[in-house]
Amino acid sequence: MMLTRGLVLAALVIAVPGEASAQLIVTGIRNLDFGVVLQGVASVVPPTDPVKSGQFYFRTPGLGTRVRIRFTLPTQLNGPGGASMPISFANNDARAQGTAPASLPILFNPNGAAVFTMTTSPDANVWLGGRVAPAAAQAVGTYSNTVIMTVTMF
Amino acid sequence: MRVHLGLSAGLVASLGLATTVIAQTSGNINAIARVRQPINVAAGQDLDFGIVIQGTPATIASTAAAAGRFDATGTPNANVNINFTLPSNLIDGAANNLPIGTWSGCFNQTAAVNSSGCTAIASMAGTTPTTFGNVAGTGRLWVFVGATVSPAAAQVVGTYNGTVTMTLTYF
Repeated sequence: MMLTRGLVLAALVIAVPGEASAQLIVTGIRNLDFGVVLQGVASVVPPTDPVKSGQFYFRTPGLGTRVRIRFTLPTQLNGPGGASMPISFANNDARAQGTAPASLPILFNPNGAAVFTMTTSPDANVWLGGRVAPAAAQAVGTYSNTVIMTVTMF
Repeated sequence: MRVHLGLSAGLVASLGLATTVIAQTSGNINAIARVRQPINVAAGQDLDFGIVIQGTPATIASTAAAAGRFDATGTPNANVNINFTLPSNLIDGAANNLPIGTWSGCFNQTAAVNSSGCTAIASMAGTTPTTFGNVAGTGRLWVFVGATVSPAAAQVVGTYNGTVTMTLTYF
């Protein structure tokens, strides 16, 4: 029995570091919501909009963690009766900021990958803006599509 | 250049270093937009008190034939807020004021009629939520306004005018 107990302790020591490094959490917080848009009138939401911008939150195991952020972005929003409306994302339509008081926001292009090192907080928020371009005869109704943010720890 | 500010932008890919993925996960949100037709508001009828007598207030109710009227079109059945900018005086060509107040209003979603079926606006100073009606596939809204003018006993004789502004906003 003494021998068995010793083996259990060894297994626990090996397992803990692996579990800590895999503790990566990514959560969608708020939709990118353009609200009411008018036929024929393009609408822009900056990533700094406190209400309309999309928001994600991610948490890493600790300071010094390196992450790569990549978005899967739609090119259109889908609406009633099969209608679709173009959506696009430009440079600086993404904004990341750690949760520590000293953290400053960083703008980046959501169409590509961005790499960060967590230096003052293990977690951060990421906001997303964009633009839609309804046609003059765009069908009235609600349009939507999914935005995915993937965070990779390496 | 590495910037240590909560997050820092790295250039690992450009250094050509091999990277080992420790963990990866994703989160989702939706991108949403609600398309609406543009709102058009036209002046349907002025609020015309006609002849008023010095010292004698004159009132036109929002349900009266002489009430002012706005004619609006938009997306059928869409939610819309009604707001007004109302003058407190009518003014003649010589900058004399004729007080106006005690505003009243009502709206009709089916016809340009205020003698019946016109829904009263509780507060002309606030925001009134309502919807466009659906009249043969067109979003329609008729809004009527009334008020009271109070000429002084020595009110300068003349013609007094003011502007009533109605704003409709989808929500």
